[in-house]
Formats: sequence, structure tokens, C-alpha cells
Amino acid sequence: MTELPHLKDVFDRLRRGHHLSPEDEPLFSAVAARHEDYAAWFRQLGITLVRHPRDFFYFDPEGGEGEREALSRIAVFAFILVDHAANEGRPVEEYVFGQHFLLPRLPHLGLDRYVGLLRQVDVEDMAGLRQVVRNLERFGFAKVVGEDEFRFQRPFHRFLDKCLEVAQAPAPASGPGVGEARAEDAG
Amino acid sequence: MRIPPQSFFRFCEVHVPLLRRLASAGGEVSEADVRRMIRDTQGEDAELPETTWRRLGELHILVPTEPGSDLHFLAEPVRRLVDYLFDAAQAATPEIVRGYIQSMEASGRQLARAIEQDELTLLRLAIDDIQKVLIRVQADLDETHRCILNEVSRYKTERRTVSVRDKFRRIVHWMERYVEPMTDIVRPDGPLRSVFDETGRLLIRARDHGLYTDLPTLERSLRLLRIVQRHALRVFQQCRRELQPLYESLRRSSFLAEGAAKALEALQRDGAGGWAEAHAVRAFQQRWQHVPSDAAITRALRNVAETTVEPPPVLGLGEPEAPPADYQRRVWLEALPGEAGASVPIDDLLGWIVRRNPGCTTADALAGFTRLVFDTSFVAGFDGGEPRVHETADGSLESCPVQLSLP
Repeated sequence: MTELPHLKDVFDRLRRGHHLSPEDEPLFSAVAARHEDYAAWFRQLGITLVRHPRDFFYFDPEGGEGEREALSRIAVFAFILVDHAANEGRPVEEYVFGQHFLLPRLPHLGLDRYVGLLRQVDVEDMAGLRQVVRNLERFGFAKVVGEDEFRFQRPFHRFLDKCLEVAQAPAPASGPGVGEARAEDAG
Repeated sequence: MRIPPQSFFRFCEVHVPLLRRLASAGGEVSEADVRRMIRDTQGEDAELPETTWRRLGELHILVPTEPGSDLHFLAEPVRRLVDYLFDAAQAATPEIVRGYIQSMEASGRQLARAIEQDELTLLRLAIDDIQKVLIRVQADLDETHRCILNEVSRYKTERRTVSVRDKFRRIVHWMERYVEPMTDIVRPDGPLRSVFDETGRLLIRARDHGLYTDLPTLERSLRLLRIVQRHALRVFQQCRRELQPLYESLRRSSFLAEGAAKALEALQRDGAGGWAEAHAVRAFQQRWQHVPSDAAITRALRNVAETTVEPPPVLGLGEPEAPPADYQRRVWLEALPGEAGASVPIDDLLGWIVRRNPGCTTADALAGFTRLVFDTSFVAGFDGGEPRVHETADGSLESCPVQLSLP
């Protein structure tokens, strides 16, 4: 195996939970070009390099320690955003990936129900939201593009995958009305 | 019942808004509702509302649901005319198209019978029926297509906030109620094609039989059959193509919304404890602590590589000439309780130790004193005497006399 370019930087990013997407050049291109070689290299360390169907890379979290609290907050943040887009009648993916978001204009603190949900994971105010966005950027789910302005990146698809996963999980009580078609067909 | 066309169209000319309101109301309307519509749509110099109400009945624009009823509906021909004029398309349901198929089957049977029995009148009637049905099928197909196009464009331009789930339900309704069953009916191996083929065969038979001499009409019917057949399939394929992307996008969004709603509901219901396990996305994290740097590893390797070999130390294993001092001291201390036991009671313990061991050091004297005071086989205590000074090899000790006796 010839020497892999940017190996140290790639490993350093991925081991911190970062997701490599086209925003992370030149690392992304290096890994995309020789994905199998990188995967083989990391396999020797007992780590699995995952290539998501939407074309971004991350380390399989099964082998890591995880960062439960920050990721819980991010998850609640993401689910609220999806819920809001759907209530507005907007196609979710177009809404999430098709615009820049301004922190003060996010729906998260505008509805008591959302505020209550965020409080469950200790996000109380705008400062808390700002921290969530910083963490989104840290993991590569979003990119901050200005003061209180950010946009989502490809790896955010992992949350949408999670939505589909939860949607097709058997409901404890009666199922939702729209579930005539099966969720796995939606992918 | 004959309605003078001039009167009808003259009335329609000045009551267009009213007719439109009546058409859009759909279904039954009460007299009070109609009178309100008349007032709302009537201009200042128009006829009296009572006159308008009366004319609606006379021209059979409004028909009572039953004799003497307060409820009325817009006569079907007028509704169709208004829909046509305002391009308000009504989608044909699968039941309507199935009705056409049954109607054509009946006309086909009539046609076959007419050919068998050489019944020219019956044959003409059957062909007329078939033509009328074909024209209606074609018109309904066009209307359905227009209707679906309107619906799709309404989705794309709608400003009103409608949730993704509701939009998806509506699209599913359109797909399931109209497009899918209709495509099943008009597909090449479906019932429409089959009845059209049979009708075509009968028409050709009628032509070949020589009974029906109006060949242009027969040819026209055959042509219409082919056109409607092709048109039907194309229309519903087009409808499907229009709706499919919207359907796919909304279906996916609907499932995403459903998942997010379920996850948030679980959080609200069960709290954050354990929620993350099933709902949060996980990420790899590996923190390292106290990891040797590259420089440290290099230095360690260099130390190993540069180490010079030294011979092991030689241990002297021969027996020493005299016992070690520490050993002798231990033996003395262990023998002390025995010696004291033979001398008890002792009035001044420290003086006794110093006297019996001339040349002992201060440390030895105190070690012996402590050994005996804490020995459980003796009892030690001050006797209240004055302090005394005891000389040792390396100093002196001053103490009040301590008595030692057996318990």
C-alpha cells in the first residue's frame, strides 16, 4: 500500500466524530479517490470507515466512546427542524439543504412545545442553540457561514435516515394515518 | 320541457357571477343561500332579486331536490356548461369509465344482435350509442387530465400553509382514486382495450356484412375507437408522470416528518433518560490520554540501542566472622523480658536497664525501656519519686522512676 495522502489529518478529524464531506477539501477528495485503501488502513486499528450512500465519510460509531449529550441536543434540534418544515408544508430535504439559516429566525424557540422539548436536553435559550450549532459544525453536519448564520451539509442526512428509521419502527400504540405505504419505500 | 335558448343565454349573460357562485357551491343549496347569493352578486341597476330567483326556476337552472323542497341543486347540464366556460375540470372517476365500458359492452351486444338479425335500425342506434360514448370518454379523459394538471400546479403555487402530511394525503388520494385504477383500466391488456377491440371487430363485421351502407360513419367510429384508445393510455401516463415526482417527494417528506414527530413525542412522553439510545445519531469519539509522543518513543529506543552492557555485581556469600550488630541488638531486646521477669519488682526500670547494660546507647536504653513497658506480661507505672539522671554511652537520660511488676 503506497502512502495515503493526508492520512494524519483525515484520521485526526474522523476520530473526533467529524464527518468528511465535500466541504472538507482536500481531505474529502483524497479519501473519496482511495476509499478502499483508507478503509483497509483504519481496519488495522479496529475502526470501520463508512461511506454513506450520499457520499460522505465517517467512522462507524460502534467502535467509539460517543458523545451522548451533545448528540442528543443535536438530535432534538434536528427533529424540531424537520417537524417545523413538515408543518409548513415544505418538502423536508429542500427546506433543510436549500437555504441558509439564521439563528434568531429558527423555529426552535418560537413554539412552547419546542421550547419544552429543548429544555429536556438542557437547551434553554439562544446561547444554548448557538452551542448546538457549534457542535453541528464540529461534527461536520453544518457549516457556520457568518455571525449566527449557518447551512446544513450532506452528513445531516444521517438525521434524516434516523427519521425514516424511527418512522418504520413499530409504534407502541396505533400507527399514524399516513402510513399506508411502507417507510422503507420512502428511501 | 323546452327552454328558449335566447332567454336562457340572455339571463346567463347578466348573471355570470351568480352562476359561478352556484356552480362552486356544489351539491344542494337552500333557498335562503341562493337569495343571499343573488343579493351579493346583483348590480345596483339589475332586476329585483325576486325576479332573479323566479327566473332561475323557470329556466331550469336550479332544480328542487324533490317537489316542494327548500333545497335546490344546479341542473347538471348548466353545471357542465359553467365548468366548461370556466375551465373548471372535473376528474372522471374509475366508476364513470367503467360505466362507459359497460355501456359499450351493451351497445356491442346490441350491434351483434342487429348484425345477426339484419336489423338496420337497431344497428344504427347501436353505432350512434357507441359514438356518443366514445366522445364522452374522450371529453372526460381530457377533463381529468386538465384537472390533474390544475391540482399539480395548485400544489406548487399554494401559499396557504398545509402540512406535508395533508399534502401527501391529497396526492395519495389522487393517485389511488384516479390515476392508478384508471391506468389499470386503460392499459393495453385492460378492460377498456378489450371492449374497444371487440367493438372494432363488430363494426368491421357490420361493414363486411353489407347491412350498414353509411361507410363514412363506420370508418369515423373505427377511427374514433383507435384515437380514444391511444389517447386514454397517453392521458393517464401523462397524469402519472405529473403526479409521480410530487408523490415521491411528499411521500419521503411525510415519512421524515412522521419519524421526527415520533422521536419528539417519545422525548416528551418518556423524558431524556434513555431517549438518546434509540433516537440520537451516534458519532465516533476516541480520546487519548498520556500517549507518548514520537520524540519520547525515539528517545526510549535510542536509550535501548545505546546501552552498554555491564557485568552483574558479585555477591559475597561467605559466612561473616561476627554476628551483625543489628542482629545482636534484636537478640538482646528479645531476651530482656526474661531477665526482667527474674528481677521483678523493679523500682526504677530505666536505671535497671542502664545498670545491667553498661555502655548501652541512649537509643538502646529507650528501646529496652519501651519493650518492657509495653510487654503485656508486666505492669508499669510511676512511683511518684523524684526525677533521676542516668548516664548512657552517648548521653544521659532524666526520668521519674517507673516501677515494673507482675500483674
